[in-house]
Amino acid sequence: MFGEDDIVKSHKQRVDTMANIIVIFFGIIVARLWYLQIYNGKLFFRYSLENRLRKEVNPAPRGMIFSRNSELLVHNVPRFDAIVIPQYLKDSEESIAKLAHILDMTVDSVKKILQKTATQASYRPVTIKKNISPQELAIIETENSKMPGVAVSPFISRMYTDQEIGAHVMGYISEISQQQLPKYRKRDDFNYKLGDFIGQAGLEEQFDLDLRGEDGYQFMEVDAQGRMKKHTLGDSLLKGISNQPPVPGNNLRLTIDRDLQRIAYRTIKNQAAAVVALDVQTGEVLAMVSTPSFDPAQFSRGLTPEYWQSINDDERNPLRDRPIQEHYPPGSTFKTITAIAALEEGIVDEKSEVICTGVFKLGKRPIHCWQKNGHGTVDIYRAIRESCDVFFYKIATKLDIDVLAKYARLLGFGSRTGIALPRETSGLIPSKEWKKKRNGVDWQVGDTISCVIGQGYILATPLQLAVAYASIANGGKLYRPHLVKEVFNNNGDVIKRINPELMSEPRISEKTLNIVRKGLYQVAQQPGGTAYWYRGQGIEMAGKTGTSQVMRFSADKIHNRCEDNEYKMRHHGLFVAYAPARDPKIVVSVLVEHGCHGGSSGAPVAQAIITKYMEKYYPELRKKIMDQEKKESRLAPIHQFASEALRGFDSAGNINVDENAIPAAATAPVDE
Amino acid sequence: MLNNNNLVSAFKRYDFSFFGIACGIFLVGIINLYSATHATTRDVAEGLYLTQVMWFFLSAAIGVFVSFINTKTWHRLSYFAYAFVCIILIAVLILGHSSMGAQRWISIAGVRFQPSEITKLAVVMCLARWFSRLQNDRETGLKDLIIPFLIAMLPALLIIVQPDLGTGMLVIVISFFMAFYRKLKWQSLAIIAMIVIVSGSAMYKFGLKEYQRKRIVTFLDPSADAKGSGYNAIQSKIAIGSGQFFGKGFRKSSQASLNYLPENHTDFVFAIFNEEHGFFGSLLLISLYLILFYRFLWLSTSVNKFFDSLLVIGMLGIFIAHTLINMAMVTGLMPIVGIPLPFMSFGGSSLVTLFVCIGIATQISNSRNLF
Repeated sequence: MFGEDDIVKSHKQRVDTMANIIVIFFGIIVARLWYLQIYNGKLFFRYSLENRLRKEVNPAPRGMIFSRNSELLVHNVPRFDAIVIPQYLKDSEESIAKLAHILDMTVDSVKKILQKTATQASYRPVTIKKNISPQELAIIETENSKMPGVAVSPFISRMYTDQEIGAHVMGYISEISQQQLPKYRKRDDFNYKLGDFIGQAGLEEQFDLDLRGEDGYQFMEVDAQGRMKKHTLGDSLLKGISNQPPVPGNNLRLTIDRDLQRIAYRTIKNQAAAVVALDVQTGEVLAMVSTPSFDPAQFSRGLTPEYWQSINDDERNPLRDRPIQEHYPPGSTFKTITAIAALEEGIVDEKSEVICTGVFKLGKRPIHCWQKNGHGTVDIYRAIRESCDVFFYKIATKLDIDVLAKYARLLGFGSRTGIALPRETSGLIPSKEWKKKRNGVDWQVGDTISCVIGQGYILATPLQLAVAYASIANGGKLYRPHLVKEVFNNNGDVIKRINPELMSEPRISEKTLNIVRKGLYQVAQQPGGTAYWYRGQGIEMAGKTGTSQVMRFSADKIHNRCEDNEYKMRHHGLFVAYAPARDPKIVVSVLVEHGCHGGSSGAPVAQAIITKYMEKYYPELRKKIMDQEKKESRLAPIHQFASEALRGFDSAGNINVDENAIPAAATAPVDE
Repeated sequence: MLNNNNLVSAFKRYDFSFFGIACGIFLVGIINLYSATHATTRDVAEGLYLTQVMWFFLSAAIGVFVSFINTKTWHRLSYFAYAFVCIILIAVLILGHSSMGAQRWISIAGVRFQPSEITKLAVVMCLARWFSRLQNDRETGLKDLIIPFLIAMLPALLIIVQPDLGTGMLVIVISFFMAFYRKLKWQSLAIIAMIVIVSGSAMYKFGLKEYQRKRIVTFLDPSADAKGSGYNAIQSKIAIGSGQFFGKGFRKSSQASLNYLPENHTDFVFAIFNEEHGFFGSLLLISLYLILFYRFLWLSTSVNKFFDSLLVIGMLGIFIAHTLINMAMVTGLMPIVGIPLPFMSFGGSSLVTLFVCIGIATQISNSRNLF
């Protein structure tokens, strides 16, 4: 037997072998160092000092965005910065003076910029003025030889052909911020650097990875004077580096129709409003506009302080995408959903009648109808047509809020639609449990009374309204609204095709839908309907007006003219419509902030869009409807808002269609 | 009970050589790190050397503490430590922070820690106990290697799938180093070499991630690279070569200051060191490393417990594997695998592990003649 230290000793031979191996390995390292540092040292020294190898990034051109009919909506244009390379600035005084003159700047301001960057290497260019005009560019280029050290440097800027029209859908790009860097690196698993441009809103943000492309690079030799020359890749020691051309980003084809987009924008451009138009059968977004708007190009070329100030100062917040990022009480447009719930649950049927005296008594408390003197005998059709509040108050006493919530959810309310745009809001459909949790108070009938007419806690985005009405129009199928048809590369190869997505099959009976659709038809097609005046020609519109209350008014002011109130206190006007009623193709949802009435503020917009759509895509169907309308030879006058709207429909407000100004009491909780 | 006399004798017996050399290399390293990150324009590197100094004090304190722990404790704990490390590695895979697409970190009380670092030490302890179990001096054949092989492979694979191929392979290399010491037969060695070549090429074909394959291709044929890995290798060579005999001088590295070298504070510190201090400087640095290694080799033959001897060899394996692979990689003799240079590269987890090794070695040396 060995002692333990004998075992250790018996391994000494191995230790000696290991010592030798270690010596051999480190000998190889030393030999290698000798080869690099002594044998080739001079050569490498030259590379490190005289010929600095630099990797220059060639940014990839960002993908373009096209409309559904392949009109170019977003593309790139080269722009130029005026720069100075201090190293080459010889007669600096003279050159700076000349440059300042060309750029319309003072000599001092140019010098100030140069002083600020005085600490950096003198071969690094200093930007004097961003995004110079073509004239300035031309003068600098021609005078170049007389101003050594002055040059222009090209950069690619984003161009939005329709500028502020639909700016919210397109979004904008700008430089990644310090705060975004770590977050986005993690999100995209991509090594962003300061100075990288990324999509910051809208499609530019949502499809950033598709649009971005892949930057290329090339290796440049920089000589002792700081001048760059293309690297020749000649030396065998530098074998192995090659240039990489940039891969352009992919392009998007949208579902958006440019003409509809333009009309939508023009009709609401002086208001704070939202318009969404969807294809009823597929959920494709035909138009989506938010006002007030902004010019996205300003962001990609670097915001001027003045422009930023003007956006910041606008109380109406132009950067907000109202159709999806803002939610409102849907007002009477929600009565349609209440009607569906009541019909499905058997609370009313097509024969049920209610007598509206203008006031509904909940216990001892009077709750008013918008029609001061009452509607008289009202059935479900008339209730929808003339938007009688009392009819729905009656329903409210029998309809459980959770049941109403169930039907609202079936139609897409209360959750995000999932449209491919960032920061969509979900709106709100209250339930008993929700109120208990939030306020700690039980649900009361008074709450339901507010909810059935789309007031109270209920909130919906204009897009949700469009989706719900499309579903009513197409027989109950709920489509996810979609914006991008396909992603394709510059060779025209389709990389991703996005098909219409059915979110849920019809869950509402055809009978109920028929009754509701008949009511909606009467709204615009039968005298007395709240949108009858705006029915247009040859479009057979069916829809629902709505007014959503911003402020609660005391009893004596309930029936005051809305226009007499201060702007901020006026009601929002809503209108949701689909057309043609018997063969629905398009649904339009309009919301005009502080527009007072859904009929006068929203319906003309919808009429203009639908008319254009029918003219463009279904001219024959439109003709057929017109012939029919002539046959029926209605005597009632028709207001031609389609054309007026294009000029700005200020006159529309004068027509006195006193639509459903919701009585304040209706939304007040019954706790007095 | 320690009285003054005991204290004095303990102090006299204390072997300062390991800590001395380690601190010497660290001093060179921290000066180099300051230089490498000083001129950089990248915000991330600012003040890195201060962080490293803090890690140094922490690691050295841990090392000194460890130098008073008897190796019997390590012998007793070795299997637990091994099991613990394997569990942590699995946890990292599930919960870890991902950095550049790899799951390598976990947070302990807010401090990010790379468990693959302590894995090496745990594997060394575990193997030392296993090998020392056989109390004889027979040569080791392939059959005796089955269990050690499994012991090494489990954590190695867990690290490789993180994915961190370099460190995973390192665990295997260190284990092999210990097996060689434990009188592995030369025939067995030949067979293992063959297996490695065959399975290595198979793994290259099927088991590697795209970027790993690219690195190897880049190494074998730099002109095949289109993504810039070859660019790193070339910049590293330019940095080293341009140092010539005496180097450009402290803080004069142009490659570091212009950010030509990626990771110039971690894997490529040796390149910066060579650029600034030249062939002469790196000869001195390599000498320091060799002195440390020879202290380890000497220690392994002069202890009287086989477990201690194996432990010393295993820790030596950790040092040598890191040093050699890093130097070979930076000088263009090997593909770039992301292995830090001991005491020179930035990195807290690595420093802690290294100083724990130094502490253990010191303790073994101190207790050598205690009977």
